[in-house]
This record gives sequence, C-alpha cells and structure tokens, in this order.
Amino acid sequence: MPTPKLKNVSRFLFVAIVTVPVVSGMVYAALYSLGIIGILNTEISSKAWQTVFFGKPFWSAIGFSLYISVVSMAISLAVALLISIKWQKNLRDGLLGTAIYFPLCFPGTVMAFFSFQMLSKSGFVSRLGFNMGWIEDLRVFPSWIHDAYGIGIIFTSVLLITPFFIILFSNLFKTENIASFQHLAKTFGASNRQILWKVTLPILLKRASVTIYLFTIFIMGSYEVPLLLGRQDPQMISVAIIQKIQRFNLNDIPQGYAMSILYVLLILSVVILLFFRNKNFFKTSAV
Amino acid sequence: MMARKILQSIFIASIGLPLAFLLLLSFGRRWPYPEIFPKELSLAAWGFLDNSNMISTFFLSLGISFSVALFVTLSAFFISKHIAYSKKRNTFMVLAYIPYLLSPVVMAVIFQYYFILVQLTGTTLGVIIAQFLIAFPFGVIIYLNFWNENLKSIEELSKTLGGNAFQTFVKVLYPLSKNAILLCFFQVFLISWFEYGLTNLIGSGKIKTLTVQVFNFVNEANIFYASFACCLLVIPPMLLMYLNKRFIFFAEKSE
Amino acid sequence: MMENILEIKNLDKTFGKETVLKNINLSLKKNAVVSLLGASGSGKTTLLKIIAGLEHQNNGEIFLNGKEISNIKPQRRNIVYLYQEALLFPHLNAFENVAFGLRLRKTPEKDVKQKVMQMLEYLGMPNHATKMANQLSGGQRQRISFGRAMIIEPSLLLLDEPFGALDSTTRQKMQELFKELAKTMQLSALFVTHDLKEAIVMGDSIGKIMKGHLKQHSDLREFYEDEESGVKKEVEFWKQFIN
Repeated sequence: MPTPKLKNVSRFLFVAIVTVPVVSGMVYAALYSLGIIGILNTEISSKAWQTVFFGKPFWSAIGFSLYISVVSMAISLAVALLISIKWQKNLRDGLLGTAIYFPLCFPGTVMAFFSFQMLSKSGFVSRLGFNMGWIEDLRVFPSWIHDAYGIGIIFTSVLLITPFFIILFSNLFKTENIASFQHLAKTFGASNRQILWKVTLPILLKRASVTIYLFTIFIMGSYEVPLLLGRQDPQMISVAIIQKIQRFNLNDIPQGYAMSILYVLLILSVVILLFFRNKNFFKTSAV
Repeated sequence: MMARKILQSIFIASIGLPLAFLLLLSFGRRWPYPEIFPKELSLAAWGFLDNSNMISTFFLSLGISFSVALFVTLSAFFISKHIAYSKKRNTFMVLAYIPYLLSPVVMAVIFQYYFILVQLTGTTLGVIIAQFLIAFPFGVIIYLNFWNENLKSIEELSKTLGGNAFQTFVKVLYPLSKNAILLCFFQVFLISWFEYGLTNLIGSGKIKTLTVQVFNFVNEANIFYASFACCLLVIPPMLLMYLNKRFIFFAEKSE
Repeated sequence: MMENILEIKNLDKTFGKETVLKNINLSLKKNAVVSLLGASGSGKTTLLKIIAGLEHQNNGEIFLNGKEISNIKPQRRNIVYLYQEALLFPHLNAFENVAFGLRLRKTPEKDVKQKVMQMLEYLGMPNHATKMANQLSGGQRQRISFGRAMIIEPSLLLLDEPFGALDSTTRQKMQELFKELAKTMQLSALFVTHDLKEAIVMGDSIGKIMKGHLKQHSDLREFYEDEESGVKKEVEFWKQFIN
C-alpha cells in the first residue's frame, strides 16, 4: 500500500493540473469580459455580456456547432454500424482489419486540407466532373466548401470519426458477446430483422453511448476543420471565439472572453448532468 | 460474396486515397484547371527537406511531441494509480474529461494570459507546458483501465512475498504495464503531433510545428508545399502503426 | 415413437478432419428431463447447438414431435438453447428480458404484463422487475434467463451447464427451483452437466457422452450398474468412511 502521504500528493497534483488552468483561466476571462482588466477597459461594464447573451452570434455559433456534430455523428454511426455488422468477420482479421486503423493517423488539419482539394470548386471532383462532361464550368460546381450548410466540415468530420467507430463496434461485438445474444434470440424465434433492431443495435449503441456523447461534444469544439473549410457566417464556436479574441478591433476581446465562459459553462453543465443522471457514466467510458 | 469482396476492395482503396492524393500533390508544380492531375511534377517540395526550415520544423515537432509524451506518460503513470484506487474514482474521472472536452484552443484562449505573464508565449517550453496540460488528463484516463482489482492483488501478493516497493515496481508492475505505457506514449504523442490551435496561440505563431506550417502554406495558397507538410505529418505515425501492429491491437481494447 | 418429443438418429458431426459426434442416438419423452453427463470437449455443446439449429450435422436425422427438423431454421424450431451464462440482454431490465420472446411474437401488452408478472412470481423475483442485469446476482440472473425461456412455452429446452458458474449453495437452490418449474410447466428438457450428482438429481433418465459417443440409459439403476458411468466408484469412495 502506498503511504497516505504519497497518495494525497498524487491526488492533489492531479486535481491541480486538471482544474487550475480551467479555473484560473475562467477567472481571467471573467475579469476581462467585465472590463475589470484589459487594454481598453476603463470601467466595469456588463456590455460585453449583454451583447453576447442577447445577440445572435454566440447562439448561432452554438447552434451551428451542435448541428454539425449531430449530423456528422449520425452519418458516421450509420456507416460504422453498417460496416461493422456486415463485415464483422473480415474486420477481425486480414487486410481490412489492418487497413481500418490507418485513418486514425490523419489529423483534422490534414483531412480538412484533403477535403478542400477534393471538394472545392476547383478541386479534384470538380475537375473530374468537367472532364466527364457533367459540368461546363467550374462556377456551376456546387459549393461544398465555405458553404452555408457546412457540407465540407461534415464530410471531413465523418472521415475522421467513422473509422474510430468501426473499430469500437467491431471490438464491442467481441467483448459484449453479441454473437451469443444473436444465437439466443434466434432460438427464441426472432427474425433477422428483429435480431438487428431488438438485439444487435440496442446493445452496441448502449455500450457505446458514453463515447457517442463525448465525441458529439468533442466535434462541437473542433477548430482546425471549420477554420479551413467553414465560412464567416455561420461559424463554429471555437472559430468564433478565437476570431473575437484575435480581432484587430480590441473592443471585441471582452466579448470573446464572455463567449468562452458561456461555452465552458455550457459544456460543464452537460457533463455534470450526464454524471448525475448516472454516476457510473464515466467509469467505462474510455473503453 | 463477390459483391462483398469488390465493395471491401473499394473501401480499402478509399482508405489509401487521401495519402496517395496528397503524395501526388506534393510532387506537383502546376495544376491548372481542369487538369485532373498536376501538369508538371517536380521534387521542389521534397527538395525543401535538405535546405531550408522544413528539417528544423520536423525535428522541432518531433522534439515537442516527444517531450510532451514522455512527461505525460511518466507523471500520469504514478498519479493515475492513486486516482484509480480512490473511492472517488468516478468524480476524478469526470474532472479528467473536462480539459479533454473543452476544445484545446478554447482552453488556450482562457489561460493564455498567465503564459504571457511568465513570458512563456512564443517559446518552445511554453508550447510543451500548454500541451502537457491538455494531454495529462487524457493520459490518466488511458491508465485508469489498467489499474484494476486484479493488478492490485498481484501487487499485494508481491509485497506479501517480501518484495519492497522498488522490487515490486521493477519485477511486477513494469512488466505488466509495458503495453499500457507504450499505448499512453503513442496516443499522447499523436495528440501533440496533431495539435494546431493551442500550439499556434501559445507559440504566437513563432513556434513553427508541422501543423502550423500546413496552415502557413495554405494561407500562402501553396498547395504543393502544404501537401508535402501533410505527408510529413501523416507518414511517421503510419509507419509507427504499421511496425507496431501487435501493439495497436492492444490499443483497440483500451481505446 | 409418438410419445417421444425428441428423437435423434445416427447423427454425425465433424469439424474438418476431427469427428466431434459419432453415431448419436437419443430419445426424450414428453414432459421429461434427460441429463447428459459429459466432460468439456466431449461434444455435448455441439450436440445441443445442432438440436437448436445453430450448427448442422453431417449425417443423421432429428425428429421433434415426430417431424424431421434438420432443414428448419432455428427461429422456427421452437427449441430454446440456454448457455452457461445467463446472457441477459444488457439493454433490457429483468421484466423486459422475460418479456423478450413475447414481444417478438407481438403479444398484446396486457397479456405480456400479466404473463411476465406471473413468471416473476414463479421465480420468486417480483421485486426485481425493473433491475438491470448488472444489478442482479448470478443466481438471480439465471432465474430470469429461465423465465425468459419458459414464458414462450418452447417444445424443448436445451440447458448447457446452466448452473456451472454458480456457487454450491445457489446451485442447489437452483436445482430445486428448476425441478419444481419443470413439473409445473410440464417441460421437456435436455440438461447437460459435467457434475455426476447434478445429472442424477436433475434427470428422469440419464445419458453419458464421451469422446463423441453417447450412451443413453433407460433408468438410473441401469446407469448405476454401468461401470463407465462412474457412479459405483463414487459410492465406493464414500463407503470407505462408513466402515
């Protein structure tokens, strides 16, 4: 048994490393957003907060981020479930089982750059279309990059997370003994359709639910991908915050800090909500 | 059966597509619309490797990621043990997820001021510390699955057999934890290697890691050099992954 | 033959070059329990899976109620195969686990409720209806698993070491519970175990499977007389302490 002293030092260090940056950062952001510190701030004011809280940009950025992450997640889950259930055997061994790990080596930056070169108006797909005679001019090629619906961002996010979920589901297949459950359901008279909807999908989704929630939050905060592929309006939340803070207009900075506090509080309350709904929520979440 | 084979081949090919495409572009020179492939190929971008900043960029990235991975792997190993065996394990776990869930770049925004205060912005050390703060909780999360009741019993057994703390570590804990340590190192290395937003902010653009360079080239509209930098980013982890296929199969369990 | 619910004739099974089951013959009377004694690797699990339709024999015939069923899908055989683990669906609570088969059959909600609650009463678990699998003990899980199987009134129940993972006290309780249920619900079951005593307690008749060969005994006396059954050895062992 470790000595109590070492134990307490370790736990103290952990809590310090994890919370001090967030808490001290929040304090600074709060002081700045209220005009207590900062270059141009002369008096305490809630102006930045009012602008952020009652204005459109923050909420539309949150809404757009949520939209991007939910849609990306839905598409990824559908594809990953389809592949991991249909190709279960091939995923366990052979070329497919190895190949599926390689996309994990692609960071968001690279994948976003790749999507840009594929999907932009002068990109690879557009060139293909032109040479095949589908389009007459690159201007008629649809906007998939810097577009209002975030198609390029969604496409890239799907490329980034789908392989991860294929791996997760095919592992769950093994660890959760899904094949046995399927057999069991069969002897109970379940049709293949019923097995899929009443057994396989609910077990996989339930066991992956924590990861799904975490990834949804994670995609909401993504930065590199929307920075390369998004446009000025609507913006995703991380990009919106950084832009406010790095603006040449110094008056925008307090708003940027107010936005980051609101965003942090929002995420924190979701996490706490998930935790209190089920105390064991995070226990197995890394699996 | 045949259709499945074909579909799978297409799928596997599409996994390789991004790399093939970026490699091709990295050899490109002129790519006027509507040519499907670059019109002229050249080694210009790759020639970059031996003369200019690219080599130092590469090694700077390597050095930063290596340091972050090393510090996190070591510190998280010892600290995570006391977290895992705590009665409040679940509460600690929630705390660990917070920096990981708040976008790193947003974290950087709010704690950037303190880095300015101690003059760490724009320095390599500053970037390493900032990345450490993001990656450390993640390292703890990776190890938490490793410290379980079974391991605890084995450790206690070693002690009842007369092993002191050091012997227990060297002869029992370390051999059993080698895979977890490797996994943690690799994952944290990747987090750092792939990081852009926080690095750019804390490094004030002066610490030019590979990801920062990709964005610089994109902003200069130099897609060939950007492709080249992308290849440098992607190929090393791929090689590592390929070499460590067995270790990767361990990774699947804990990830 | 008509009184036999299950009749297996000359059944063979090989995996590649390995013969797992050789010329198996087995009959099971209606509303009776046959114990099958066998060590691990004896081929007993394969036999059960073939009867359930989850594996296919190479040769031989299987009759259920006088009808050959080898080409009938597992879904349509009305034979339930229970694993050693309870395998409760992790996404459903105890009530919904028991109700699973009824839901597949689209039984009206009112009937589902009534039947499941009645089954939970039988099992002595009406207070555990809303618990999830991970909140139940090993024995409780196994009970729910029985209830889930019996509620759809299968023609035949196949049990593969159902109490193998339980401690001896729970095991004994479960044996009693099962015997009682088998009687009240008029079950026909094939009960596989490696435990000699359990085989004798549970079965109306008994068979032993060894290296792919099966020997079925018409009654327990005959089983006792058979040198290979191991019963005599067991009796000798205990006798030494009496004298």
